[in-house]
Amino acid sequence: MRWLHKVPLRLRSLFRKSSVEQELSDELRLHLERLVEENMARGVAPEEARYAALRELGGPDQIKEECRDMRRVNYIDNFLQDVRYGLRQLRRSPGITTVAVFSLALGIGANTAIFSLMNAVMLRDLPVHDPGRLVLLGKGRAGGSDDGFAVTDLYSYSFYRELRQKNQVFSDVSSLLSLLLGGMHGAVDGGPALEKMDVQLVSGTYFPTLGVKPTLGRAFTEAEDEPAGGHPVAVISYSWWKRRFGRDPSITGRTVTLGSTVYTIIGVAPPEFFGTTVGQSPDLWIPLSMQKQVSPGWNGLDNKWFQSLYIVARLKPAVTVDEAQANVNLLARQIWHEYAGPVLTRQQQQNLDHAHIQLTPASRGLSRLRFEFSLPLQILMAVVGLVLLIACANIANLLLARATTRQREIAVRMAIGAGRARLVRQMLTESLLMSLGGGALGVLFASWASHALVATVSTGPEPLPLNVAPDGRVLAFTSLVSLATAITFGTVPALRTTRVQLTSALKEGRGAVAIAGRGALARALIVLQVALSLVLLIGAGLFLRSLVKLAHVDTGFNKENVLMFGIDPVDVGYKEDARLVNLYQQLEQRVSAEPGVRAASISFFTFNQGAWDDPVVVQGSIRMPETNNDVLHNVIGPGYFATMDIPLLVGRVFGPQDTDSSPKVAVINETMARQYFPGGSPVGSRFGVGDDPKHSSDIEVVGVVKDAKYQGLRERRWPAAYYPYTQRVGYYYGLEVRYAGDPRTIIAEVRQAASEVDRTLPVTYQNTLAEQVDQSIASQTLIARLSAFFGLLAVFLACIGIYGLMAYAVTRRTNEIGVRMALGAGRSKVLWMVLRESLILLALGLAVGLPAALAAGRLVSKMLFGLSPADPLSLAAAALLLLAFAVAASYLPALRASRVDPMVALRYE
Amino acid sequence: MGKPTDLVQGTLDLLILKTLALEPMHGWGIAQRIRQMSNEVLQVNQGALYPALHRLEQSGWIKAKWGESDNNRRAKYYSLTAAGRKYLEREQANWQRLSAAIGLVLETS
Repeated sequence: MRWLHKVPLRLRSLFRKSSVEQELSDELRLHLERLVEENMARGVAPEEARYAALRELGGPDQIKEECRDMRRVNYIDNFLQDVRYGLRQLRRSPGITTVAVFSLALGIGANTAIFSLMNAVMLRDLPVHDPGRLVLLGKGRAGGSDDGFAVTDLYSYSFYRELRQKNQVFSDVSSLLSLLLGGMHGAVDGGPALEKMDVQLVSGTYFPTLGVKPTLGRAFTEAEDEPAGGHPVAVISYSWWKRRFGRDPSITGRTVTLGSTVYTIIGVAPPEFFGTTVGQSPDLWIPLSMQKQVSPGWNGLDNKWFQSLYIVARLKPAVTVDEAQANVNLLARQIWHEYAGPVLTRQQQQNLDHAHIQLTPASRGLSRLRFEFSLPLQILMAVVGLVLLIACANIANLLLARATTRQREIAVRMAIGAGRARLVRQMLTESLLMSLGGGALGVLFASWASHALVATVSTGPEPLPLNVAPDGRVLAFTSLVSLATAITFGTVPALRTTRVQLTSALKEGRGAVAIAGRGALARALIVLQVALSLVLLIGAGLFLRSLVKLAHVDTGFNKENVLMFGIDPVDVGYKEDARLVNLYQQLEQRVSAEPGVRAASISFFTFNQGAWDDPVVVQGSIRMPETNNDVLHNVIGPGYFATMDIPLLVGRVFGPQDTDSSPKVAVINETMARQYFPGGSPVGSRFGVGDDPKHSSDIEVVGVVKDAKYQGLRERRWPAAYYPYTQRVGYYYGLEVRYAGDPRTIIAEVRQAASEVDRTLPVTYQNTLAEQVDQSIASQTLIARLSAFFGLLAVFLACIGIYGLMAYAVTRRTNEIGVRMALGAGRSKVLWMVLRESLILLALGLAVGLPAALAAGRLVSKMLFGLSPADPLSLAAAALLLLAFAVAASYLPALRASRVDPMVALRYE
Repeated sequence: MGKPTDLVQGTLDLLILKTLALEPMHGWGIAQRIRQMSNEVLQVNQGALYPALHRLEQSGWIKAKWGESDNNRRAKYYSLTAAGRKYLEREQANWQRLSAAIGLVLETS
């Protein structure tokens, strides 16, 4: 426990400095007096005795300094002194300080902003009890519903119930619907107005498993898991409570009506809890047992094959993930076997053989955002890191230049006894002050920038609910970056500056005074900057060209002039029957009749809104083994192809003749026609959905349309089939409108028309089809824009560096240039002399940067589209751009050099 | 007897601790005592004494208190802490082992 003893001592040394110093002086004086007395006792004259005593003891001040060192307070003391001195120095050269702090603020701010986003998407733990013990069954990549056998990402309700009962490895198991039911419409307290709200269905065990305690009221319990339909209750989010209810303390007991069911609010979740999916924030949670009431279209509580849930479980204290995984897989096999019956089909057996449930740590929550943005964010992190490095090189060069002007000061300080280590420390303190200033500004900059970033990556009209507020981790990151930055740009200049030849430095004048190697070092820094800028520019070029190529992908539909609306028939009580079909038809007719509307259609999906994929069976044909037989299906109105502008190639589109009672029909795309009906026109051919040959003549093909992109611009050609909603009655939420003219009036018209059809029907404008397409390449856009911005910033910084170095060199060589000109060198020769120097640096930089860029390109090849990492156009454009900027930057100093008046120059100095 | 021998590096701490093991003492007294005890052979570099005292205090081996000196002058008295006493024992044992070993080497050759 010795430190117990030390701490008060050191604190005393630090804060009661004067009394400690006084004591030391007293002690030394006493000692000195005794020595003098002793000497005098030996008969030495008083004056002489004193000198002898001082000789014997040594200088009191040196001893005191040594004692202070022993007390270790000097570090702190010196540091404070350095800070004071450093601040004075920084004030003395406001220009350099401003430039340095500002560029650091940009650099550190950019790093902080990207890191904040990374933190929110990839690193932050869920605000729940002991998140490290939570696991997700499967990888959470799929969402929606799957009716396959032995599926390992999505699970049915009964699977969840059985697993919960039978497992031996989890202290609790919970499940949630794999989709957020976004944009539902409900009434608060039975009022007339319908409000938009996002609903997440969760099992009764959801809150207990996570260990989330409600701020107010109670959360669900296991009891809410059954019976189905028996628990019309809801827990609401803190932010909704705040936003919608003004933190009403008597919220419990108030109600929300969705469709025909009234849900009683029983609790409010804690403020930090946003759910378990990063990038989503439901307004209310409702028990899964209410699935049929909340979402009639998504009703599969008692269907073993309606696999639509994620399962999140908490490991028992002593159980490892591997043990749990073994137990889960064993159980899953039993459960699946039980579902399928005693004899498995060949396909089922195959699925079972391949099925392996992987337990994924769920500490950071679920997120499909993470899959999309992990790589782009990592790339951007590297990009901003390089930009910061370039900024560091600039500041290092600035400091090196300033070192020359400070040489005399340094020399004087060394001459009067300052140690080199002490001086280096002092100069590093200055650097640290600059970078901390930059860091502090950077955090401000980042808090603005990270919100802008979130807006960029958001795919909906509202920004993604991501928490990018700086937390401990972000602040730690920024501090660390600031510190590393200070060391990076400060060390070399500090070491160089303090390596001075005292005698020559102290002599007046500048000509002979050179800091060893300053030139070579500064040049090396420029080469580094050029190389790094080249890497960034080439990267930016690659990403921009990929983006352009993506934007020019043939979508197969015309994305211009289409508005997309969402309708919500569920929450106003429509059942899946003829009345719903009538609603769709009425809507289409009324909206189409509005002026400016060219076509309108209800649809299950448009581009990138989701998909329904299932195999099909074709009459009289066997499976084609080379394809997995999956076809994308869509359900649409008769005006869909006109609205999307997808050309019909053969046959007809749907019309009034296709009714509930008429033969089932489908329109297929070219790829499906080619794959499933090779040779001859497929019109009149028959197929069925699923893999049961019994159904292979269910549906007749009546037309073939051109291929389109369905889920993303990068996708391959998919076979697709469309069905009329009249023959597949269900809830379809999309209403698309092709228009001409001002979209704002069209939006108003559509709303008006819809309310004339059904006054209660919620109709929300979502976005244009073009926006929908753009949003599908949000990560690509983000990375292209930001890398272009940072690439240009890097070039700009490098140019400042080149300009600074050249300008400085010209000033220093004014004398020499004067001599040359006096001896007959022409202006152009001088111009070339200066330019040549920077061209050599540029060439070196390019030579270093090019292979580095090629290597880096391979790392990002996954983010590229339609071009190779060694795309010659990107390479050449980047090199030329850099060359042009850099030559411009060095041209100015060169021009100045060529205009030197020899007479003035020779008198210079 | 030639010049008083300089202290071997690091032994000053040991000597101070040993001196203080007898009784609490001020800086001047410690220097005098070391000289006396070593029969004037060991000459403490008086300038080095005080930093050493500060170091030992920082390490927690000794503690300091102000008191009256023999001729009514205020002086800072140092005394051994319990930890210091243990440290001294340990170091003393080490020293003895070391010197014995060196002695052995010198005698045998």
